[in-house]
Amino acid sequence: MIAPFFKYGLFGEDISLVVAFITGIGFGFFLERAGFNSAKKLAAQFYFTDLTVFKVMFTAIITAMVGLYYLSVIGFLDLSLVYLTPTFLLPQVVGGLILGFGFVIGGYCPGTSCVAVSTGRIDGMVYLGGIIFGILVFGEVFPLVSNFYVSTSMGQITLPQITGLPYGLLVFLVVLMALGGFVGAEWIEKKMASKKAGASL
Amino acid sequence: MKNFFADLSMNKKLGLFAFVLGFLALFAGSPYHGSEATVNAKELALIVEKEVDHVSVQTLADWIIQGKSDFRLIDLRSEKDFAEYHVPFAENILLSGLDQSNLQHNEKIILYSDGGIHSAQAWMLLEAKGFKGVYILRGGLEEWKDQILFPRIPENPTPAQVVEFAKTKEVSKFFGGTPQSGATLEAATPKLSMPKLDAPAGAQSKAPPAKKKKEGC
Repeated sequence: MIAPFFKYGLFGEDISLVVAFITGIGFGFFLERAGFNSAKKLAAQFYFTDLTVFKVMFTAIITAMVGLYYLSVIGFLDLSLVYLTPTFLLPQVVGGLILGFGFVIGGYCPGTSCVAVSTGRIDGMVYLGGIIFGILVFGEVFPLVSNFYVSTSMGQITLPQITGLPYGLLVFLVVLMALGGFVGAEWIEKKMASKKAGASL
Repeated sequence: MKNFFADLSMNKKLGLFAFVLGFLALFAGSPYHGSEATVNAKELALIVEKEVDHVSVQTLADWIIQGKSDFRLIDLRSEKDFAEYHVPFAENILLSGLDQSNLQHNEKIILYSDGGIHSAQAWMLLEAKGFKGVYILRGGLEEWKDQILFPRIPENPTPAQVVEFAKTKEVSKFFGGTPQSGATLEAATPKLSMPKLDAPAGAQSKAPPAKKKKEGC
């Protein structure tokens, strides 16, 4: 059992920043290759004409899930040491909605806006400026919302803990959910495309 | 069948691959390897309060001299410190290695570190994992040095203390220590050298494993 490398002390804080940098560049590269530097493509998600975002993200999720699961089963990785973001249910629902509004209006999410900036898009730069301004505003008003910010704390929970189902079964169910989602997404895309073709005739 | 697979698009092949992996996950079991544990806080608190989980250095020294082998002595310090000196018959297991160590739940385990902190923490970890016979060497290696290797007779000893010290001296010599007689206090002792690592002659090997009555429950 040797992973997570950082927690087993294979490298320190400074090297971990280098690792984060390389991983981040890789992440950005593949976002760009998926066409996520275009606000039009990203916003099309919300009009159901192009569900690439959904498909890419869900693919990433199940790839990571299946990978982590099997690496743990064979004993290469200690899953109990992998950091989990703690759940604060209500604040995260509200935060997700705000992020969603920003996504539709601005055409980017935080990661893709950085990709857009690095490919030289001006709307991406404006968006990134907005993010920084938003961070400043949030920092200033934090004392007012701090109570809400830490409310409905549920700790670091996972689906197997909530549902009580065996881990492997949940892996299978999430894979099924993703595959069903992909089929559904393709179907919707086709339907919207034929509707659009009909409308433009 | 072969054609069927070849005719699939790349996306469908990947989807099929994900499905197969997901399906196999149904039978692959839990990814956690038991590195999490729960504790009965009340029970542990009582054990700690009553101090039934302690073994004094004198008791340990007696056990080693008597050749008892019904316990396992675990040195939690670094490999380097362990190589320099350790109590005879101790095994070196690091805190992070406790998880994968070959300690058995029904064994009597005595933990020591430099002071008492690491052994107390290891004690907690082992208790949480369901080990029942875990003990801490009170005062750790510091105490072992003070009381066993380099014992001192108190100033102006009472006759009883003199008798006691005569015994302590013998114990100390058994472990290769240097008892400090009252006259040669502090100033006269430049640096105390740790004894060599050879096992004390005649210990452990000769006596058959004596059955020590179970403690705790």
